[in-house]
Amino acid sequence: MHKSEMPSGAMVLLVLRVLRSGPLHGYAIAQRIHTLSSDALRVEEGSLYPALQKILLKGWVTAAWGTSETGRKVRFYKITRAGLKQLEAEASQYDRLTKAIQAILRTA
Amino acid sequence: MRELLRRIHYLLHRRRFDDELADEMAFHREMAEQSGGVPLGNALRLREDSREAWGFMWLDRFSQDVHYAFRAMRSSPGFTAAAVLVLAIGIGATVAAFSAFNMVALRPLPVRDPESILRFGRHAPGRSASDIPYPAVAFYREHTRTLSALLAQTESGLSVEGVDRPSSTFFVTANFFDELGARAELGRLFNIRDERPDAQATVVLGQAFWASHFGSDPSVVGTTVRLNGKPATIIGVAALEFSGLAGDTPAIWALLEQHGYFVHGSQVLTDFSSGVAMWGRLGPGASPQMAETELTTLAAELRRQHPNDIWENERLLGNPGGRPQLTGAVEVFTIVGILVLLILAVACGNLGSLLLARGASRQREMALRSAIGAGPGRLIRQLFTESLVLALIGCVGGLALGSIVLKGIMVWTHGPAWLDPTPDWRVVTFAIAMGFVSSVLFGLTPALHVARQRNLNKRPTFGRSVLIGAQVASSCVLLIVAGLLTRAFDRAASTDPGYEYEHVIVVQPSLSEHGYTAARARDYIQNLSARLRGIAGVEDLSVTSTPPLSGLRVLAPVQLGGRAIDIYIHQVDPHYLATMKIPLVGGRNLIEGDELSVVVSESLARMQWPDTDPVGQPIKIGDEMLTVIGIARSARSLAPGNPDAVELYRLAREADLTGLALVARTSGPTETLAPAFSAAANSIDANFKPQVHLLKQQFEANVGDIRGVALAVSMLGVIALAVACLGVVGLVAYSVAQRTKEIGIRLALGAQSRHLVRSLTRQFWRTIIVGLVLGVLGAGGLAQLLRRELYGLSTIDPVAYISAIVLFILAVSLAALLPARRALRVDPLVALRCD
Repeated sequence: MHKSEMPSGAMVLLVLRVLRSGPLHGYAIAQRIHTLSSDALRVEEGSLYPALQKILLKGWVTAAWGTSETGRKVRFYKITRAGLKQLEAEASQYDRLTKAIQAILRTA
Repeated sequence: MRELLRRIHYLLHRRRFDDELADEMAFHREMAEQSGGVPLGNALRLREDSREAWGFMWLDRFSQDVHYAFRAMRSSPGFTAAAVLVLAIGIGATVAAFSAFNMVALRPLPVRDPESILRFGRHAPGRSASDIPYPAVAFYREHTRTLSALLAQTESGLSVEGVDRPSSTFFVTANFFDELGARAELGRLFNIRDERPDAQATVVLGQAFWASHFGSDPSVVGTTVRLNGKPATIIGVAALEFSGLAGDTPAIWALLEQHGYFVHGSQVLTDFSSGVAMWGRLGPGASPQMAETELTTLAAELRRQHPNDIWENERLLGNPGGRPQLTGAVEVFTIVGILVLLILAVACGNLGSLLLARGASRQREMALRSAIGAGPGRLIRQLFTESLVLALIGCVGGLALGSIVLKGIMVWTHGPAWLDPTPDWRVVTFAIAMGFVSSVLFGLTPALHVARQRNLNKRPTFGRSVLIGAQVASSCVLLIVAGLLTRAFDRAASTDPGYEYEHVIVVQPSLSEHGYTAARARDYIQNLSARLRGIAGVEDLSVTSTPPLSGLRVLAPVQLGGRAIDIYIHQVDPHYLATMKIPLVGGRNLIEGDELSVVVSESLARMQWPDTDPVGQPIKIGDEMLTVIGIARSARSLAPGNPDAVELYRLAREADLTGLALVARTSGPTETLAPAFSAAANSIDANFKPQVHLLKQQFEANVGDIRGVALAVSMLGVIALAVACLGVVGLVAYSVAQRTKEIGIRLALGAQSRHLVRSLTRQFWRTIIVGLVLGVLGAGGLAQLLRRELYGLSTIDPVAYISAIVLFILAVSLAALLPARRALRVDPLVALRCD
């Protein structure tokens, strides 16, 4: 599997999931996804920031200015109640989908 | 919804959000670089991708395109001015036509709450009437619950001191002005107290009459005026902008209740055989259907008291009463609509060709733009935006031009003052829609061609051919129709209409309006005939119900040969045909006592009995079975605009006497005899003055109308031809410019100039010929439509067709040759050096 390839639609799900444990800034979101996937997934700016803008517009996260670990002013994203609901819905949807695909892969 | 608000928020603060995003992404890069990663991709491009999520990129691009379009327009002001002018003419013509249509057909009358007013008419199986007897109106007014008010009106011509012809007077119910929210220019209007039986006679002047007859003198209010010899107090002046409900305003407004006071012997208020126009205002919560049902029930109730006067199964049906009534105008507007759309088509075709030619000179720019990453979609969008901007400017120009033209026409034709030619939202919407449609018409093809960077130097492409062909066809239609109309005018002015008009004076006493019974009318007519015969110079005299061109008509719908047609019926005396110099071509004339015999026109005879002799044949008119005894030459005296009109003459009967007019043929010029006629006519009954007019004047006015139409269409045709020629000049000039090098080489090699010109213009000829053929066909179709409206128009008039085509070919050839000749003066050395 190519390192940076990511199933379409999964980006929003992953961003919401890593934000569930607390507010993060953009770079940290990318890093977290990278580490949590045991370096399998690499998040590029080109897909992360469009996704973040979309999520902001949908109202699933809010952004607030804070200071990064390096002491720089940066935007922190925090998941909202609507975002949690969306995460739950997308996670179960994704779950169903992967199960279905795996079932086919096993039997066919 | 929330999301949309957020989007708008982003749009409004997009500069700040953009800065924040840039900052955030810079931070990301710093961090990535620190941890040894290599950032990929262009930062700006990545930011743009992110911004795309906000969903307003199209707006950004659009505003970029608009800016660019303005810059491009500024850089070639000549082209821009020409394009805007051509468009403004094209759109202006459609806007003027649409505004006129809007003004008379779409806009309600300027009265209070026009939508709740209904005009009622009587309907029963086999018959109908637009007027309702006044006693019935009074009965309905007393009993209706669905209508909050009933208005009624009837018109009479009254003689006013110092005015030599009867002044139009509308007799209305006292609630008329209040109910319609009319404004008094001066004094006051009627109210309910004026209608009381003991009230003094009062009148309201129309503002136009007040101005023309009383010189807008404000002290006239409160003074007494004599109408038909009866004194009445002027209580006020109705404002110019008050339209009333009849689409026409009178010189004088009076009260219906006082009709009998002014009009001697009037029985309008008591008589069931005459009628008045009746309008009803729907009460709160009432629908038109409810009102119709209620009035129909009331009519049935009234029929029990007046079984002879209210018809069996009589129904009262309502039509929208708050709008001008258009009869026959739809066809006129169809024709005008087609003509102005043709102008617009010429303008669009022209502009399209111009844009194509200009696009070729912008090929370098397009190549550059696509080299730095603009896709074809982006280029098309940009070029189309430029057309859109042009169209919008043209649209503003067209709106201004159209309104000015319409205002000019209104002033020129003395249109009613309450018609307001100022564009309203409908006209503005229409203009914008026209601008958009035309931008698609002229802008899309060039945009596609230019953006795809087709080689425009070669033969004309299909798109370009369509543009030229459309121009040629449209301007050809306009030219031919203009030719047909001009010829029709010539013929109408020069040929015999089928009856004598030059030496005829018409006296129209309108006896029924003055309360005459049949017996008194007979005396009156005999008396008047004797006096008129006594005037030296009168050769012949007779009576008719329908003097030529009077606008009066009696129609009988009949089934002839399986199709329904209307016969124009003249109720005359045996002398009429001789007086009007309408010759008999078969059978014999009517004589006294020929109650059940008729003379038919040649046109009717041809239509009904193409193979047999009509004399002796039966013909059914209404319930009567009549016999044809003679055939008269066709004379279109009542329907000058309808070449298919068929006519029938029969003797006037007792019941027709009060509606008769006198026609007199004189030996000398009619102008000098008119005063003697007026004096004789006024001497019989002091209560009113009959209308006396010269038939010649009416005939000339009628011909003048046709001339006006012919002139207007000719102007449209010339404009279209000029625009089309400009287009051809532009195209050939462009083609010459493109092929300068080739021309140089050929000249250097010794090519003949003849051959060069031929090769330069050859590519356009086929398209022009196809356009011409289409144009001729289109003109034929349009002429069919026009023929129904205009007298003497022949649909297959070879002179009109050939002269229009010759004119067109000459103009276009000249337009093509002028720039082509320039090619021959090219210096081969210069030509070879250019790129």
